Amino acid sequence: MIRTPSLRCALSVWRRDLRLFSKLWRGTLLPPFLDPVVYFLALGFGLGAFVHSVNGIPYRDFIAPAMCASATLWASSFEATFAFFWKMDHSHLHENILATPVEPEDVVLGELLWGATRAVIYATSFLVVIALLGYVHSPWALALPPFLFLGGLAFGALGLAYTVLIPRMDYFTFYFTLIVNPMFLFGGIFFPVDSLPEWAQAVAWLLPTEHLVSIARTLAGGEGSLMTVLGHSVWLVIATTLVTLVPLYRYRRRMVA
Amino acid sequence: MSEPSVIARGLRKAYDGVVAVDGIDFSVRAGECFGFLGPNGAGKSTTLKMVYGLAAVEGGELHVLGQDVARHRRDVKARLGVVPQDDNLDIDLTVHENLLAQGWYHGLSGRVARARADELLALAALEERRDAFPPQLSGGMRRRLLIARALVGTPALVVLDEPTTGLDPQARLTVWESLDRLRGEGVTLLLTTHYMEEATRLCGRLAIMDRGRIVDEGAPKELMRRHDQPDLEAVFLQLTGRKLDA
Repeated sequence: MIRTPSLRCALSVWRRDLRLFSKLWRGTLLPPFLDPVVYFLALGFGLGAFVHSVNGIPYRDFIAPAMCASATLWASSFEATFAFFWKMDHSHLHENILATPVEPEDVVLGELLWGATRAVIYATSFLVVIALLGYVHSPWALALPPFLFLGGLAFGALGLAYTVLIPRMDYFTFYFTLIVNPMFLFGGIFFPVDSLPEWAQAVAWLLPTEHLVSIARTLAGGEGSLMTVLGHSVWLVIATTLVTLVPLYRYRRRMVA
Repeated sequence: MSEPSVIARGLRKAYDGVVAVDGIDFSVRAGECFGFLGPNGAGKSTTLKMVYGLAAVEGGELHVLGQDVARHRRDVKARLGVVPQDDNLDIDLTVHENLLAQGWYHGLSGRVARARADELLALAALEERRDAFPPQLSGGMRRRLLIARALVGTPALVVLDEPTTGLDPQARLTVWESLDRLRGEGVTLLLTTHYMEEATRLCGRLAIMDRGRIVDEGAPKELMRRHDQPDLEAVFLQLTGRKLDA
């Protein structure tokens, strides 16, 4: 049986994380802001010198909005893996929180919401950068952040589902090499998914990246129809809800044995 | 007379087939300081964890502050304060923010949480270390902060697991004084210890625990008289055939 989290208690956990972030973002948390910019410059201008266009779209315009999805992926995955495990197992932060009225399901929801919040902050900053550089081609880009939040929840749920099952932090090597990196490289950010073999396309369709990439390309890149945004969002909502059941179920058993 | 703060009947808990708490009965009266005295591994911490909700009750019944913990965990925890054995302060937040965040977890609004944090900072005599981080504090200061943090939700019952283990005599005395003050305010205290001096000094009543069971229970003096021994160490030796700090 899975108990329903309390949003109010979850937000108290979220608030603590926000407090810490608001103190650190100008310092140690600044480099991750630059990650997608570095990737964009390297691939957009390096690889882009050889690959001029994809499906008729100039290469830099092809990857720029899609990289909002990768910024989301990395930020959210970090929070759901290393950061969550640290709080759950090493610093005993969660142990203290669980001795207050906050229950295990609230912690899962609060940390998930926080990971998505951090993802939106990083991804939206990148969106502003590419807008300033002239790679945003639709005013619908203004509507993108809520979808980045949804994508952050999706990646976060996936990360948490893995994190609550592993015994030690070392096991994240598998997650990043076998899940996060492939989602980053084969999710349709740098080349279209339909150039992959069919089985790989099916796998890509099951994972969040391609859906978030399509949404970003539609809203910020001005490609494709707005109706597809709805379809991809519905898929993200359903998948996120289902995957979140794993940490909701498992974390309580792990913490309150 | 008000109802007991904690009532346990046939309380039982095993981890992976190893019995940690083996069907114990005890009750803690409102306003008293009740202690579990026993060596490491006696089942004291597990008993406390069931009281504050970090271990699920496996067998028997456990009522805390009038409610069944198995069914009303959130309500029970709202009126509890916990001082854990291992320091689990938030090392990324300052002393003041540790108290502030605890207020948020207890559902206090920002303004009320800030006022409560200031008040407890003064009570714990940590005002000058307000912006320090926990690793920068001495062991005694960290323990004071842990106690202050346990009081954020204005608890009716404070649970302390080995409150002075690892502290020097001076810091231990400071902790004892703050616990005396709490008891004076009518807060019920439930603690574990393996120091007989602490048990004698603080606890109105004691349960002597060994291997998951309560082997005897009573006021410290009463226990010594009943077993005709000069101190609790000797009482424990007589009851179990072993030394207390083994």
